[in-house]
Amino acid sequence: MPIIVPRDKAIMRVLRPIIAMGICLSLALGASAQTLDSSDSSEYLIKAGFIYNFAKLVGWPQGAFAQPDSPIVIGILGTDPFGGIIDRILADKQIDARRFVIKRLKWGMDLKGCDILFIGSSEAAHLEEVIHALKGLPILTIGETPGFARRGCIINLVVEDNKVRFEVNLDAAKQADLNISSRLLALARIIPQSAAETR
Amino acid sequence: MSSIPKKNKSLMASAGRILLSGVLAVCPVANMAATGSDSPQNVLDPTQLSLEDLMNLQVTSVSKRTQKVGDAAAAVFVITQEDIRRSGATSIPDALRMAPGLEVARIDENKWAIGSRGFNGRFDNKLLVLIDGRSVYTPLFSGVYWNVQDVVLEDVDRIEVIRGPGATLWGANAVDGVINIITKSAKATQGGLVTAEAGSEERTAESVRYGSKIGNNTYYRVYGKYFDWYPSIDVTGATASDGWHALRSGFRVDSNATTANSFTIQGDIYHDNFGETVTVPSLTSPRFSSTYPNNGYNSGGDLLGRWNHSFARSSTSLQMYYDRTNIADPTVFGDHESVYDIDFQHDIHLGEAQELVWGLGYRSIQDSNGSSFTVALLPDHRNLNQYSAFLQDEVSLLDNRIHITVGSKFEHNPFTGFEFEPNVRVLGTLTKQQSVWAAVSRAVRTPALTEEGLQLNAGIIPPAMPPLNSPLPVIEAIFGSPLFRSEDLLAYEVGYRVQATSSFSLDVAAFYNDYTNLRSAEPGAPILAGSPFPSYVVLPFVASNKMSGGTYGVEPFAEWKVLPRWKVSGSYSFLRMNIRKNADSLDPTPDIPNGASPRNQFYFRSSLDLPKHLEQDLIVRYVDQLPSLSIPSYYSLDLHVGWKPISQLQLSFGGEDLLNSRHLEFIPEFINTLPTEVRRTFYGGIAWTF
Repeated sequence: MPIIVPRDKAIMRVLRPIIAMGICLSLALGASAQTLDSSDSSEYLIKAGFIYNFAKLVGWPQGAFAQPDSPIVIGILGTDPFGGIIDRILADKQIDARRFVIKRLKWGMDLKGCDILFIGSSEAAHLEEVIHALKGLPILTIGETPGFARRGCIINLVVEDNKVRFEVNLDAAKQADLNISSRLLALARIIPQSAAETR
Repeated sequence: MSSIPKKNKSLMASAGRILLSGVLAVCPVANMAATGSDSPQNVLDPTQLSLEDLMNLQVTSVSKRTQKVGDAAAAVFVITQEDIRRSGATSIPDALRMAPGLEVARIDENKWAIGSRGFNGRFDNKLLVLIDGRSVYTPLFSGVYWNVQDVVLEDVDRIEVIRGPGATLWGANAVDGVINIITKSAKATQGGLVTAEAGSEERTAESVRYGSKIGNNTYYRVYGKYFDWYPSIDVTGATASDGWHALRSGFRVDSNATTANSFTIQGDIYHDNFGETVTVPSLTSPRFSSTYPNNGYNSGGDLLGRWNHSFARSSTSLQMYYDRTNIADPTVFGDHESVYDIDFQHDIHLGEAQELVWGLGYRSIQDSNGSSFTVALLPDHRNLNQYSAFLQDEVSLLDNRIHITVGSKFEHNPFTGFEFEPNVRVLGTLTKQQSVWAAVSRAVRTPALTEEGLQLNAGIIPPAMPPLNSPLPVIEAIFGSPLFRSEDLLAYEVGYRVQATSSFSLDVAAFYNDYTNLRSAEPGAPILAGSPFPSYVVLPFVASNKMSGGTYGVEPFAEWKVLPRWKVSGSYSFLRMNIRKNADSLDPTPDIPNGASPRNQFYFRSSLDLPKHLEQDLIVRYVDQLPSLSIPSYYSLDLHVGWKPISQLQLSFGGEDLLNSRHLEFIPEFINTLPTEVRRTFYGGIAWTF
């Protein structure tokens, strides 16, 4: 058994109740408290969360959806970095009456049926062609590659210091007739459209 | 509050995985990918979080898991890449000065004493250090050769410092703290980087790194690093012999072959030459000791591989590494160690609120050493085999507001046989902004090779000197003993964290550590030695377990974002040690552990972002006196300015220890090397990325 000098016993007499109180306090107060669950996550789990939030905070123009309960179609163009994450996360979610439909797409396929188009890094070489093909359509384009916002993508996710940040190209959002909430803009980094890329 | 990656419940558990191998880490993401909709419910649901919350989550490249520091039932501090850059730190020990509860003291240009919550010393044996999941603990003295641990600091993702025991996950020797140095993934270090630094202490350092892609999902980087530190000065102001130069190179490859499998392979190789001034006993009259400049070298390398695999409701990680260390100090001691280590870990989600983690480990150590008159180790060859297993269960109660973690490590070592190291940790979320935690844990510090078979001739009493008046010279020698047992710790910890406002946070941890069977040096019967005729007497002091006692302390850390561009942070570390020899101890030495760690330490930092991509940092530190070493207290002031004129170029300028022209920080124990002074230093550096 530990041999403790008297002074240490005194300390323990003080500390034991503190420890006990700490545990009791946490049990008692915890019961009535709200929790922010941090839990397991990953880059693409977090990015899927961003996409869900964007869907909530972006307004599509009238007529973009045929019915009040038409699904929000998310297209993933090019190499899919999400694996099955985004399907699982959004499987039972809905915004108002709209559920989510996830489609995997390749360049050359018809992109026009999407409401949100996630453009993978694999499309960097022909991003301008993709943007051009969507011109005037109410499709929220989301990238995750440096420079995409400047090149015409509406939202671009960037990882800095291990945290996910996002850029918004307002000109591109305007062209797509999408209404981006001020709450979203307050957290965004606003990126001007590069002059050379403006069409 | 800042966030660190970790397992969803206890930081200890998650950090365990991260370290044990970012691989060992269970990868919940892959989990989900593999299982579709029937994934565990207790995985984070990001749709429940606001954009603000999501922006505060940290993406971890190694383990792909995230946990807020606020959710850890342990005293955790994270040093980020930004902290390292902005502090101007040029070595790992420099960066560790930021962490509350740690004691960092420089002995000479190539030696440090680094400890957590007391017992500091060059041969501190109660701190476990891991670099990317590889334990850099040496079985020679159960400590760390700090002078062979290095990385390209720009490639460090973060350093997690956990004060207090981490033995349940990391095993023996994670007694008073665990330091996890985690480098960025190869994917995060793509492209080229060239850095160069020069300073008034006539030091130069250069590093080169290049990263690229092989195929679709595989990334790599290679690096080289060289530095040269010129000698410092001794207490008289004369130039010392403690110069140091080192060359290091390495690589890392990360591959996410499929969503269910990821692989990492990394390795390093190094060589360095160091100098020191040693004083050793000698049998030659009239001085009976000799002091001389001594040059030696260290070399070695390591190779690590890790495989993470995910199943439907569980995940596994397998890590293997080889680590070779050669210490060549020709006139004092030489040591060659090879470590082979294999770890397996399995995480299982049981229902919605329970997660079970278990693991197995095996380590084989081969050590051979070369003796001198001063230091001898018997036997001179040794193979050690260590086996371990651990089991930990984590339960979430009351809608995730209470997390209880219970677990234990079981290990077998060749010195003391079976050891077990259980812990219980409870975390309670009071409100969204406040949490409290408490933990009780047991940890052991298993014997080192030196404690079993050392003979260190530490001092000499010349003939005819009082009080012995021996006709022959008497060598005071420290001996190991096969009877030496493990040192034991029972630790009680509590903590409280609050994010009081969006700009102010506070984290307080307090502990009481109850130690038993600490090492003492018991005098033995004198031995006549010398050949062919007895020419001297050896007075042995034999390693024994006759010290015990308690330490306690409190470590508050606060961070305040005064303005969006101005952040101040500060910590205070209070430590009190009451270690005593047991009643049956005859150890004549004073209570050294009590006076070799500072009782009070302050750290204050102001970080200012200026226009034109300028950043400015000011750091003030206070370190209390070390009474048993006669080291006075000191204040230090460091200034650092960083400037990024274009995105590819980072310039930095700074000064360290601006308040003192020079000061001594520590006096080494056991091996009598000359401590040298830390001087006021100015430096400039450049980092170019392409």
